[in-house]
Amino acid sequence: MSDPDERRRQFESIALPLMQGLYNTSLRLTADGDEAADIVQETFLRAYRTFDNFRPGTNARAWLFTILYSVFANRYHEAKRRPRMEAVEELEAPAGPESDIALVAAWGSRWNPEVERALRRLPEDFRTPLLLIDVEGLSYEEAAAVLGCAVGTVGSRLFRGRKLLYAMLQEYAHQAGYGKHSAPDP
Amino acid sequence: MTDNASHLGATLQDLLDERLDAARQTEVLTHLAGCPQCRSELEALRWVRDVALKQLPVEDVPPALAARVVAALDVTDKQTVRRGWRRRTMAAAVLAAAAVVLLLLVSPSSNGDTLPNAVARDFVAYRDGTLPLTLHTSDVAAVERFFVAGGAPFAMRVFDLGMMQYQLVGGRLHRLRGRPSALFVYSGPGDRNLVCQMYEGQLADLPRSDDVREHNGITFRVYRAGTVTLVFWQEGPVVCVLASDADAEAVIQLAYAKAVKV
Repeated sequence: MSDPDERRRQFESIALPLMQGLYNTSLRLTADGDEAADIVQETFLRAYRTFDNFRPGTNARAWLFTILYSVFANRYHEAKRRPRMEAVEELEAPAGPESDIALVAAWGSRWNPEVERALRRLPEDFRTPLLLIDVEGLSYEEAAAVLGCAVGTVGSRLFRGRKLLYAMLQEYAHQAGYGKHSAPDP
Repeated sequence: MTDNASHLGATLQDLLDERLDAARQTEVLTHLAGCPQCRSELEALRWVRDVALKQLPVEDVPPALAARVVAALDVTDKQTVRRGWRRRTMAAAVLAAAAVVLLLLVSPSSNGDTLPNAVARDFVAYRDGTLPLTLHTSDVAAVERFFVAGGAPFAMRVFDLGMMQYQLVGGRLHRLRGRPSALFVYSGPGDRNLVCQMYEGQLADLPRSDDVREHNGITFRVYRAGTVTLVFWQEGPVVCVLASDADAEAVIQLAYAKAVKV
Protein backbone atom coordinates (compact mmCIF):
# COMPACT_ATOMS: atom_id res chain seq x y z
CA MET A 1 0.00 0.00 0.00
CA SER A 2 2.26 2.77 -1.21
CA ASP A 3 -0.55 5.30 -1.76
CA PRO A 4 -1.17 6.98 1.63
CA ASP A 5 -4.76 7.88 0.78
CA GLU A 6 -5.52 4.32 -0.23
CA ARG A 7 -3.84 2.99 2.92
CA ARG A 8 -5.90 5.35 5.03
CA ARG A 9 -9.10 4.41 3.25
CA GLN A 10 -8.43 0.70 3.65
CA PHE A 11 -7.68 1.15 7.33
CA GLU A 12 -10.86 3.15 7.91
CA SER A 13 -13.02 0.67 6.02
CA ILE A 14 -11.65 -2.21 8.07
CA ALA A 15 -11.23 -0.63 11.49
CA LEU A 16 -13.74 2.18 11.99
CA PRO A 17 -16.87 -0.01 11.79
CA LEU A 18 -15.54 -1.86 14.85
CA MET A 19 -15.28 1.28 16.98
CA GLN A 20 -18.59 0.77 18.76
CA GLY A 21 -17.73 -2.71 20.03
CA LEU A 22 -14.28 -1.55 21.07
CA TYR A 23 -15.71 1.45 22.89
CA ASN A 24 -18.36 -0.59 24.70
CA THR A 25 -15.79 -3.16 25.80
CA SER A 26 -13.40 -0.44 26.90
CA LEU A 27 -16.20 1.23 28.85
CA ARG A 28 -16.99 -2.02 30.65
CA LEU A 29 -13.35 -2.72 31.39
CA THR A 30 -12.69 0.72 32.84
CA ALA A 31 -16.15 1.91 34.00
CA ASP A 32 -14.93 5.38 33.06
CA GLY A 33 -16.05 7.16 29.89
CA ASP A 34 -12.92 9.30 29.52
CA GLU A 35 -10.55 6.39 30.13
CA ALA A 36 -12.54 4.24 27.72
CA ALA A 37 -12.28 6.89 25.01
CA ASP A 38 -8.54 7.34 25.58
CA ILE A 39 -7.98 3.59 25.26
CA VAL A 40 -9.99 3.41 22.04
CA GLN A 41 -8.08 6.33 20.53
CA GLU A 42 -4.75 4.74 21.47
CA THR A 43 -5.95 1.44 20.01
CA PHE A 44 -6.72 3.01 16.64
CA LEU A 45 -3.44 4.89 16.58
CA ARG A 46 -1.39 1.76 17.31
CA ALA A 47 -3.38 -0.20 14.78
CA TYR A 48 -2.86 2.45 12.11
CA ARG A 49 0.88 2.62 12.71
CA THR A 50 1.18 -1.15 12.31
CA PHE A 51 -1.45 -1.50 9.60
CA ASP A 52 1.16 -2.53 7.05
CA ASN A 53 1.64 -5.72 9.09
CA PHE A 54 -2.08 -6.51 8.95
CA ARG A 55 -2.97 -9.04 6.29
CA PRO A 56 -6.26 -8.21 4.55
CA GLY A 57 -8.75 -11.02 4.93
CA THR A 58 -7.51 -12.00 8.38
CA ASN A 59 -9.49 -11.32 11.52
CA ALA A 60 -9.62 -7.55 12.06
CA ARG A 61 -11.85 -7.86 15.14
CA ALA A 62 -9.41 -10.12 16.95
CA TRP A 63 -6.52 -7.89 15.86
CA LEU A 64 -8.13 -4.70 17.20
CA PHE A 65 -9.38 -6.29 20.41
CA THR A 66 -5.86 -7.62 21.01
CA ILE A 67 -4.49 -4.09 20.75
CA LEU A 68 -7.30 -2.70 22.90
CA TYR A 69 -6.68 -5.24 25.65
CA SER A 70 -2.95 -4.61 25.49
CA VAL A 71 -3.49 -0.85 25.89
CA PHE A 72 -5.91 -1.46 28.77
CA ALA A 73 -3.58 -3.94 30.48
CA ASN A 74 -0.58 -1.62 30.19
CA ARG A 75 -2.50 1.27 31.66
CA TYR A 76 -4.02 -0.62 34.56
CA HIS A 77 -1.47 -3.25 35.40
CA GLU A 78 1.79 -1.37 35.02
CA ALA A 79 0.46 1.75 36.69
CA LYS A 80 -1.08 -0.41 39.41
CA ARG A 81 -4.43 1.23 38.82
CA ARG A 82 -6.18 -2.03 38.25
CA PRO A 83 -9.89 -1.81 39.11
CA ARG A 84 -10.63 -2.90 42.65
CA MET A 85 -10.78 -6.66 43.02
CA GLU A 86 -13.23 -8.31 45.37
CA ALA A 87 -12.74 -11.71 46.89
CA VAL A 88 -14.66 -14.22 44.84
CA GLU A 89 -16.53 -15.38 47.95
CA GLU A 90 -17.81 -11.84 48.52
CA LEU A 91 -19.37 -11.61 45.10
CA GLU A 92 -22.48 -13.55 46.01
CA ALA A 93 -23.45 -10.84 48.50
CA PRO A 94 -25.82 -8.27 47.00
CA ALA A 95 -24.23 -4.96 46.06
CA GLY A 96 -25.37 -1.76 47.71
CA PRO A 97 -27.40 0.71 45.65
CA GLU A 98 -24.73 3.39 46.07
CA SER A 99 -22.70 1.80 43.28
CA ASP A 100 -25.51 2.64 40.87
CA ILE A 101 -24.61 6.32 40.98
CA ALA A 102 -21.27 5.84 39.24
CA LEU A 103 -22.82 3.44 36.77
CA VAL A 104 -25.59 5.85 35.84
CA ALA A 105 -22.99 8.56 35.34
CA ALA A 106 -21.00 6.29 33.06
CA TRP A 107 -23.86 4.84 31.10
CA GLY A 108 -26.59 7.44 31.01
CA SER A 109 -30.23 6.56 31.34
CA ARG A 110 -30.64 3.71 28.82
CA TRP A 111 -29.51 1.07 31.20
CA ASN A 112 -30.67 -1.75 33.44
CA PRO A 113 -28.51 -1.60 36.57
CA GLU A 114 -28.66 -5.19 37.77
CA VAL A 115 -26.62 -6.93 35.10
CA GLU A 116 -24.23 -4.03 34.61
CA ARG A 117 -23.57 -3.77 38.31
CA ALA A 118 -22.93 -7.49 38.67
CA LEU A 119 -20.63 -7.48 35.66
CA ARG A 120 -18.67 -4.61 37.10
CA ARG A 121 -18.08 -6.50 40.34
CA LEU A 122 -16.60 -9.50 38.55
CA PRO A 123 -12.82 -9.77 38.75
CA GLU A 124 -11.28 -8.66 35.49
CA ASP A 125 -9.94 -12.14 34.72
CA PHE A 126 -13.51 -13.45 34.58
CA ARG A 127 -15.18 -10.33 33.20
CA THR A 128 -13.02 -9.97 30.10
CA PRO A 129 -13.81 -13.41 28.60
CA LEU A 130 -17.51 -12.70 29.18
CA LEU A 131 -17.22 -9.38 27.36
CA LEU A 132 -15.26 -10.82 24.45
CA ILE A 133 -17.20 -14.07 23.96
CA ASP A 134 -20.73 -13.48 25.23
CA VAL A 135 -21.09 -9.77 24.44
CA GLU A 136 -18.82 -9.21 21.43
CA GLY A 137 -19.21 -12.68 19.93
CA LEU A 138 -15.55 -13.66 19.64
CA SER A 139 -14.74 -17.37 19.54
CA TYR A 140 -12.80 -19.07 22.35
CA GLU A 141 -9.77 -19.15 20.08
CA GLU A 142 -10.02 -15.43 19.22
CA ALA A 143 -10.48 -14.52 22.89
CA ALA A 144 -7.45 -16.64 23.79
CA ALA A 145 -5.39 -14.73 21.21
CA VAL A 146 -6.63 -11.39 22.56
CA LEU A 147 -5.82 -12.32 26.17
CA GLY A 148 -2.59 -14.13 25.35
CA CYS A 149 -3.54 -17.33 27.12
CA ALA A 150 -4.55 -20.90 26.30
CA VAL A 151 -8.00 -21.72 24.96
CA GLY A 152 -8.58 -23.95 27.97
CA THR A 153 -7.82 -21.05 30.30
CA VAL A 154 -10.34 -18.88 28.50
CA GLY A 155 -12.94 -21.64 28.85
CA SER A 156 -12.39 -22.08 32.56
CA ARG A 157 -12.44 -18.30 33.19
CA LEU A 158 -15.61 -17.98 31.15
CA PHE A 159 -17.21 -20.80 33.13
CA ARG A 160 -16.31 -19.24 36.45
CA GLY A 161 -17.42 -15.82 35.23
CA ARG A 162 -20.81 -17.12 34.14
CA LYS A 163 -21.30 -18.99 37.41
CA LEU A 164 -20.33 -15.97 39.49
CA LEU A 165 -22.56 -13.70 37.46
CA TYR A 166 -25.47 -16.06 37.94
CA ALA A 167 -24.80 -16.26 41.67
CA MET A 168 -24.93 -12.47 41.86
CA LEU A 169 -28.05 -12.25 39.71
CA GLN A 170 -29.98 -15.24 41.01
CA GLU A 171 -32.52 -13.16 42.89
CA TYR A 172 -32.94 -10.81 39.96
CA ALA A 173 -33.34 -13.77 37.62
CA HIS A 174 -36.11 -15.24 39.73
CA GLN A 175 -37.85 -11.85 40.02
CA ALA A 176 -37.68 -11.60 36.25
CA GLY A 177 -39.47 -14.93 35.97
CA TYR A 178 -36.54 -17.20 35.25
CA GLY A 179 -36.38 -20.54 37.04
CA LYS A 180 -39.84 -20.41 38.62
CA HIS A 181 -40.78 -23.67 36.96
CA SER A 182 -37.37 -25.30 36.78
CA ALA A 183 -35.75 -27.51 39.32
CA PRO A 184 -34.44 -25.59 42.34
CA ASP A 185 -30.74 -25.12 42.82
CA PRO A 186 -29.27 -27.31 45.54
CA MET B 1 -24.61 -24.25 41.33
CA THR B 2 -21.90 -26.59 42.56
CA ASP B 3 -19.08 -28.56 41.03
CA ASN B 4 -19.11 -32.16 42.07
CA ALA B 5 -17.30 -35.24 40.80
CA SER B 6 -20.64 -36.86 40.04
CA HIS B 7 -21.86 -33.87 38.08
CA LEU B 8 -20.72 -32.40 34.80
CA GLY B 9 -19.33 -29.01 35.86
CA ALA B 10 -17.54 -27.19 33.05
CA THR B 11 -18.61 -29.85 30.54
CA LEU B 12 -22.05 -28.24 30.69
CA GLN B 13 -20.54 -25.11 29.22
CA ASP B 14 -18.89 -27.13 26.45
CA LEU B 15 -22.34 -28.52 25.64
CA LEU B 16 -23.91 -25.04 25.75
CA ASP B 17 -21.26 -23.58 23.47
CA GLU B 18 -21.32 -26.57 21.10
CA ARG B 19 -17.74 -27.57 21.79
CA LEU B 20 -18.32 -31.32 22.31
CA ASP B 21 -17.91 -34.04 19.73
CA ALA B 22 -20.97 -36.12 18.92
CA ALA B 23 -20.06 -39.05 21.17
CA ARG B 24 -19.41 -36.88 24.23
CA GLN B 25 -22.52 -34.86 23.55
CA THR B 26 -24.61 -38.05 23.64
CA GLU B 27 -23.06 -39.03 26.98
CA VAL B 28 -23.76 -35.60 28.42
CA LEU B 29 -27.36 -35.56 27.24
CA THR B 30 -27.88 -39.00 28.75
CA HIS B 31 -26.54 -37.73 32.08
CA LEU B 32 -28.72 -34.64 31.90
CA ALA B 33 -31.87 -36.70 31.39
CA GLY B 34 -31.42 -38.15 34.88
CA CYS B 35 -29.78 -35.24 36.73
CA PRO B 36 -31.96 -32.25 37.70
CA GLN B 37 -28.98 -30.48 39.29
CA CYS B 38 -26.99 -30.48 36.06
CA ARG B 39 -30.09 -29.44 34.10
CA SER B 40 -30.58 -26.54 36.47
CA GLU B 41 -26.93 -25.56 36.19
CA LEU B 42 -27.02 -25.73 32.40
CA GLU B 43 -30.09 -23.48 32.29
CA ALA B 44 -28.40 -20.99 34.61
CA LEU B 45 -25.40 -20.81 32.30
CA ARG B 46 -27.72 -20.40 29.34
CA TRP B 47 -29.63 -17.62 31.12
CA VAL B 48 -26.42 -15.69 31.78
CA ARG B 49 -25.25 -16.04 28.20
CA ASP B 50 -28.52 -15.58 26.32
CA VAL B 51 -30.63 -13.40 28.60
CA ALA B 52 -28.62 -11.45 31.17
CA LEU B 53 -25.74 -10.36 28.97
CA LYS B 54 -28.06 -9.60 26.07
CA GLN B 55 -29.70 -6.93 28.24
CA LEU B 56 -26.57 -4.83 28.29
CA PRO B 57 -27.10 -1.59 26.39
CA VAL B 58 -25.06 -0.82 23.30
CA GLU B 59 -23.59 2.59 23.93
CA ASP B 60 -23.13 4.90 20.95
CA VAL B 61 -19.62 6.14 20.26
CA PRO B 62 -19.46 9.79 21.44
CA PRO B 63 -19.11 12.09 18.40
CA ALA B 64 -16.10 13.74 20.04
CA LEU B 65 -14.30 10.38 20.25
CA ALA B 66 -14.92 9.59 16.59
CA ALA B 67 -13.58 13.02 15.66
CA ARG B 68 -10.55 12.58 17.95
CA VAL B 69 -9.66 9.28 16.30
CA VAL B 70 -9.85 10.78 12.82
CA ALA B 71 -7.79 13.81 13.91
CA ALA B 72 -5.17 11.52 15.47
CA LEU B 73 -4.92 9.54 12.24
CA ASP B 74 -4.47 12.84 10.35
CA VAL B 75 -1.58 13.80 12.65
CA THR B 76 0.04 10.41 12.06
CA ASP B 77 -0.33 10.87 8.30
CA LYS B 78 1.31 14.30 8.46
CA GLN B 79 4.21 12.98 10.55
CA THR B 80 4.73 10.18 8.06
CA VAL B 81 4.75 12.64 5.20
CA ARG B 82 7.29 14.90 6.95
CA ARG B 83 9.61 11.97 7.69
CA GLY B 84 9.54 10.86 4.12
CA TRP B 85 9.86 14.34 2.64
CA ARG B 86 13.64 14.70 2.63
CA ARG B 87 14.16 11.16 1.43
CA ARG B 88 11.82 11.71 -1.43
CA THR B 89 12.91 15.17 -2.51
CA MET B 90 15.46 14.02 -5.01
CA ALA B 91 13.26 11.30 -6.38
CA ALA B 92 10.40 13.79 -6.67
CA ALA B 93 12.50 16.13 -8.74
CA VAL B 94 13.19 13.37 -11.20
CA LEU B 95 9.55 12.31 -11.22
CA ALA B 96 8.39 15.90 -11.76
CA ALA B 97 10.51 16.17 -14.84
CA ALA B 98 9.06 12.91 -16.11
CA ALA B 99 5.55 14.17 -15.36
CA VAL B 100 6.10 17.26 -17.47
CA VAL B 101 7.05 15.03 -20.38
CA LEU B 102 3.99 12.88 -19.81
CA LEU B 103 1.70 15.91 -19.67
CA LEU B 104 2.97 16.95 -23.05
CA LEU B 105 2.16 13.51 -24.41
CA VAL B 106 -1.29 12.77 -23.02
CA SER B 107 -4.54 14.07 -24.44
CA PRO B 108 -6.03 17.15 -22.72
CA SER B 109 -9.32 15.26 -22.42
CA SER B 110 -7.86 12.45 -20.30
CA ASN B 111 -8.87 13.98 -16.98
CA GLY B 112 -9.68 10.75 -15.09
CA ASP B 113 -8.71 12.13 -11.68
CA THR B 114 -10.93 15.19 -11.63
CA LEU B 115 -12.84 16.29 -8.55
CA PRO B 116 -16.20 15.18 -10.02
CA ASN B 117 -14.72 11.75 -10.68
CA ALA B 118 -13.36 11.59 -7.14
CA VAL B 119 -16.78 12.55 -5.73
CA ALA B 120 -18.45 9.91 -7.90
CA ARG B 121 -15.94 7.29 -6.72
CA ASP B 122 -16.65 8.25 -3.11
CA PHE B 123 -20.37 7.84 -3.73
CA VAL B 124 -19.89 4.38 -5.21
CA ALA B 125 -17.48 3.41 -2.42
CA TYR B 126 -20.04 4.45 0.21
CA ARG B 127 -22.86 2.64 -1.59
CA ASP B 128 -20.71 -0.50 -1.88
CA GLY B 129 -19.77 -0.41 1.77
CA THR B 130 -16.07 0.32 1.35
CA LEU B 131 -16.21 3.94 2.55
CA PRO B 132 -17.34 3.81 6.19
CA LEU B 133 -18.82 6.66 8.16
CA THR B 134 -17.11 7.61 11.39
CA LEU B 135 -20.27 8.83 13.08
CA HIS B 136 -23.70 7.23 12.60
CA THR B 137 -26.56 9.45 13.67
CA SER B 138 -29.62 11.17 12.24
CA ASP B 139 -28.98 14.19 14.49
CA VAL B 140 -27.96 17.12 12.26
CA ALA B 141 -26.48 19.10 15.16
CA ALA B 142 -24.43 16.09 16.32
CA VAL B 143 -22.83 15.73 12.89
CA GLU B 144 -22.04 19.45 12.79
CA ARG B 145 -20.45 19.19 16.26
CA PHE B 146 -18.50 16.17 15.03
CA PHE B 147 -17.02 18.16 12.15
CA VAL B 148 -16.14 21.07 14.43
CA ALA B 149 -14.58 18.75 17.03
CA GLY B 150 -12.59 17.08 14.28
CA GLY B 151 -11.09 20.41 13.24
CA ALA B 152 -12.86 20.94 9.90
CA PRO B 153 -10.86 23.92 8.56
CA PHE B 154 -13.87 25.80 7.19
CA ALA B 155 -17.36 26.80 8.28
CA MET B 156 -19.87 24.24 7.08
CA ARG B 157 -23.46 23.24 7.72
CA VAL B 158 -25.25 19.92 7.56
CA PHE B 159 -28.56 20.01 5.69
CA ASP B 160 -31.83 18.95 7.24
CA LEU B 161 -33.54 17.15 4.35
CA GLY B 162 -36.32 15.58 6.39
CA MET B 163 -38.97 17.54 4.51
CA MET B 164 -37.69 15.99 1.29
CA GLN B 165 -37.83 12.51 2.87
CA TYR B 166 -34.06 12.18 3.10
CA GLN B 167 -32.88 10.97 6.51
CA LEU B 168 -29.38 11.82 7.70
CA VAL B 169 -27.28 8.66 8.23
CA GLY B 170 -24.01 10.12 9.53
CA GLY B 171 -20.73 11.63 8.45
CA ARG B 172 -16.98 11.39 8.24
CA LEU B 173 -14.08 13.80 8.01
CA HIS B 174 -12.84 12.90 4.58
CA ARG B 175 -10.22 13.86 2.05
CA LEU B 176 -11.16 14.68 -1.48
CA ARG B 177 -8.13 14.39 -3.70
CA GLY B 178 -5.95 15.32 -0.74
CA ARG B 179 -8.01 18.25 0.56
CA PRO B 180 -10.12 18.11 3.75
CA SER B 181 -13.77 17.45 3.11
CA ALA B 182 -16.83 17.18 5.32
CA LEU B 183 -18.78 14.20 3.99
CA PHE B 184 -22.26 13.34 5.18
CA VAL B 185 -24.82 10.90 3.89
CA TYR B 186 -28.59 10.61 3.64
CA SER B 187 -30.93 7.74 2.87
CA GLY B 188 -33.86 8.71 0.70
CA PRO B 189 -36.98 7.26 -0.89
CA GLY B 190 -36.45 3.83 -2.42
CA ASP B 191 -33.27 3.41 -0.32
CA ARG B 192 -31.43 5.82 -2.60
CA ASN B 193 -28.23 7.21 -1.15
CA LEU B 194 -27.33 10.88 -1.20
CA VAL B 195 -23.74 11.83 -0.39
CA CYS B 196 -22.91 15.47 0.30
CA GLN B 197 -19.39 16.84 0.49
CA MET B 198 -18.10 20.32 1.31
CA TYR B 199 -14.53 21.48 0.79
CA GLU B 200 -12.60 24.71 0.39
CA GLY B 201 -12.23 25.53 -3.27
CA GLN B 202 -13.57 27.32 -6.31
CA LEU B 203 -16.29 26.21 -8.71
CA ALA B 204 -14.19 27.70 -11.49
CA ASP B 205 -11.52 25.03 -10.90
CA LEU B 206 -13.87 22.25 -11.96
CA PRO B 207 -13.66 20.81 -15.47
CA ARG B 208 -16.35 21.52 -18.03
CA SER B 209 -19.67 20.09 -16.79
CA ASP B 210 -22.43 18.26 -18.65
CA ASP B 211 -24.91 20.96 -17.70
CA VAL B 212 -24.97 24.39 -16.06
CA ARG B 213 -28.07 25.66 -14.25
CA GLU B 214 -28.90 28.98 -12.61
CA HIS B 215 -31.36 29.26 -9.72
CA ASN B 216 -31.91 32.19 -7.33
CA GLY B 217 -28.71 33.76 -8.62
CA ILE B 218 -26.62 30.67 -7.86
CA THR B 219 -24.72 28.69 -10.51
CA PHE B 220 -25.00 24.90 -10.38
CA ARG B 221 -22.57 22.67 -12.30
CA VAL B 222 -24.10 19.28 -13.09
CA TYR B 223 -22.06 16.17 -13.95
CA ARG B 224 -23.19 12.66 -14.79
CA ALA B 225 -20.99 9.66 -14.10
CA GLY B 226 -22.88 6.55 -15.13
CA THR B 227 -26.04 6.49 -13.00
CA VAL B 228 -24.64 9.01 -10.53
CA THR B 229 -25.60 12.68 -10.75
CA LEU B 230 -23.32 15.30 -9.21
CA VAL B 231 -24.42 18.87 -8.51
CA PHE B 232 -21.78 21.41 -7.44
CA TRP B 233 -22.31 24.97 -6.22
CA GLN B 234 -20.32 27.64 -4.38
CA GLU B 235 -21.09 29.04 -0.90
CA GLY B 236 -18.43 31.61 0.01
CA PRO B 237 -15.06 29.85 0.14
CA VAL B 238 -16.72 26.44 0.25
CA VAL B 239 -17.81 24.23 -2.64
CA CYS B 240 -20.79 22.01 -1.90
CA VAL B 241 -21.64 18.92 -3.94
CA LEU B 242 -24.52 16.46 -3.84
CA ALA B 243 -24.02 13.02 -5.38
CA SER B 244 -26.77 10.47 -5.81
CA ASP B 245 -28.06 7.70 -8.02
CA ALA B 246 -31.59 9.06 -7.60
CA ASP B 247 -33.33 10.74 -10.52
CA ALA B 248 -31.09 13.52 -11.85
CA GLU B 249 -33.75 16.24 -11.66
CA ALA B 250 -34.57 15.22 -8.09
CA VAL B 251 -30.91 15.68 -7.11
CA ILE B 252 -30.82 19.09 -8.79
CA GLN B 253 -34.02 20.13 -6.98
CA LEU B 254 -32.47 19.12 -3.65
CA ALA B 255 -29.50 21.34 -4.43
CA TYR B 256 -31.83 24.22 -5.37
CA ALA B 257 -33.68 23.79 -2.06
CA LYS B 258 -30.58 23.87 0.13
CA ALA B 259 -28.14 26.18 -1.66
CA VAL B 260 -27.63 29.58 -0.06
CA LYS B 261 -26.22 32.60 -1.86
CA VAL B 262 -23.30 33.97 0.16
